[in-house]
Amino acid sequence: MSTTLEATKDTSPLAKLISDCEELIRDTSLSTVQAWKERTGGIAIGFMPTYIPRELLHAQGVLPVGIMGAGDIEIIRGDAYYQSYICHIPRSTIELGLNGSLDCLDGMVFPAICDVIRNLSGMWKMMFPTKLVHYLDVPQDFHAEMGGEFYRHDLEALSAKLVEAGAKPLTSEALAESIRLYNENGRRVRALYDLRRREPWRVPTAELYVILRAGLILPVEEHSIMLDRFLELVQAEDDRTPMDQARVILTGSFCEQPPLGLIKTLERAGCYIVDDDFVQVSRWFKHDISEEGDPLGALVDAFLTDAFASPTRYIDEDEKGRELVERVQSSGAEGVLFCAPSFCDPALLDQPMETAAVTRAGIPWTAFKFSEDTGQFQVIREQAGTFADSIKLWS
Amino acid sequence: MKEKEMLAVGIDVGSASIKLAIIRDQGSEIELLYGRSERIRRREAEEVAEGMFASALEEVGLSKDDLAYIATTGEGEVVQFRTGHFYGMTTHARGARFLDSETDACIDIGALHARAILMDNRAKVLGYRMTSQCASGSGQFLENISRYLGVTMAEIGSLSLEADEPEQCSSICAVLAETDVINMVSRGISTANILKGIHLSMAGRYSKLLNSAGAKKVALVTGGLAADVGLMAALREVAGAGKNPLEIRSHEHSALAGAIGAGIWGAFRARKVEKLGATLAGAGAGK
Repeated sequence: MSTTLEATKDTSPLAKLISDCEELIRDTSLSTVQAWKERTGGIAIGFMPTYIPRELLHAQGVLPVGIMGAGDIEIIRGDAYYQSYICHIPRSTIELGLNGSLDCLDGMVFPAICDVIRNLSGMWKMMFPTKLVHYLDVPQDFHAEMGGEFYRHDLEALSAKLVEAGAKPLTSEALAESIRLYNENGRRVRALYDLRRREPWRVPTAELYVILRAGLILPVEEHSIMLDRFLELVQAEDDRTPMDQARVILTGSFCEQPPLGLIKTLERAGCYIVDDDFVQVSRWFKHDISEEGDPLGALVDAFLTDAFASPTRYIDEDEKGRELVERVQSSGAEGVLFCAPSFCDPALLDQPMETAAVTRAGIPWTAFKFSEDTGQFQVIREQAGTFADSIKLWS
Repeated sequence: MKEKEMLAVGIDVGSASIKLAIIRDQGSEIELLYGRSERIRRREAEEVAEGMFASALEEVGLSKDDLAYIATTGEGEVVQFRTGHFYGMTTHARGARFLDSETDACIDIGALHARAILMDNRAKVLGYRMTSQCASGSGQFLENISRYLGVTMAEIGSLSLEADEPEQCSSICAVLAETDVINMVSRGISTANILKGIHLSMAGRYSKLLNSAGAKKVALVTGGLAADVGLMAALREVAGAGKNPLEIRSHEHSALAGAIGAGIWGAFRARKVEKLGATLAGAGAGK
């Protein structure tokens, strides 16, 4: 029986696939990326969480590599760069940079997540002066003539820097093909999220999460094949039967990611996670990017008009939390777990507005914090377990 | 008014033993049809649970299809054939309320920790306090001490009641407490006085937990240690003294409270989901 990731002694193809992905994630020295570079002669560029236009990098022959912190590795030098009231992911990223784990990367792109990550991009420039460092200053104005122009200019600047670092020049044909490949990948990811919403016992979040994390390291073509294989395997798992668990949405973990043990703990505590904001880059857009017309324009337009609400995006006249309430309603969720990293400004500044919105909508919620190196989950287990009980018995 | 009968099984997987209860719920009437506790010893918990489940159904003359819900609690996540799982606090509160309808609090004393739970008259948990990771307030600690002293767990209670000059030991740390016991033995303190001292020390911790959880009137002791008459006497002595005396009670089925509570909540949940017109498989999706 392989009902959870715990089936480590299980030698089924699904267990093997999940175990391979976990190994890929644990390999902070990025040996897979190094092997890809040796095989293809291409360059690899790292990027921090939330969103970057991977299509652009792919079109120039670059392997985009998601750097989502370092889990629970010991931080020796990283702590010297940040105060104690700063989250964990910048210090673990610095640790990876300084201990040589990221040597195979030819550069880093830092999307506009928060001031801490903005500062990290500056520090990276000083620490690694020979490598490409780009702060992707995404627009917070979503009008085509203003924010659109600004973003297009930023993408062109990034593209030029990639060429300087050894990438191929950007062509419309190559970008169109890359958009097509990432659209295919995005459709598969959305299909898995849809299946999990309908039958969460079939797609445990701990498994879906590691499959998505693998997509931050592998070339998109390989990852799409992996997604197909995963879908096929979970659909064939007859042993997975539904249990009476509370259906919840997990939100707040869009940048620093929780330890895998925490995700498993939440599921074991009686929660079916039917939606989340993990590995957002793979689901940043609600639909396919247009494959018609100017591909760079399509990338810009998608960013302006089709992105998920995220604490890293400015919301002008809209209401913070409205989209979260809609996601709860459309997914049949019964509650919300606000699961934010300690000291995460974007997540924790939005939380009061989001909790107010879900409270107004009569949706139960609970909140807790984590760090990527959290090792003790007992308190969170109690909180999530009693929350699930309260939903099942008292809602 | 009698409602449709719901049969449910509650399985409480503890660190030392597994408890199983079969509940018949007819709406306003709830009945305990079967209850049993079994030590896990060196076996796989899931195997023990499976064996207990099969023999319980056979004994009562039921089949799995007769059950509306199989509920687990404690470490019950290992039981793969469950319908759903309820957290320990939720189930002990319900079990305590079933065993004694006058109780407004309970204290679950298990092998590895103790937990005081405050509840309302629907057995909804209002608050709780639990021991930290230290083992000195637990059944496992008492078992270790009984081994050092060369007495069985069954003898502990009656021996403690014979004490005339109890010797208090550390209530903070199991290691210090065990050192205290070794010193007491070398000083020639009688076994009865050592045991009563340990019981008083544990009772002091439990009483503080109950007070800080907000217990006001009657507290039922749940978990296996409720059968220890020496501990119960010490707890009554400690909790009954002071500014806010609390009545401490136990029940012959106290050890089964978690399993009973799980079974009752299972039947409740099955009825609730049926009324919603949904299914137990992710009931919210059907709303």
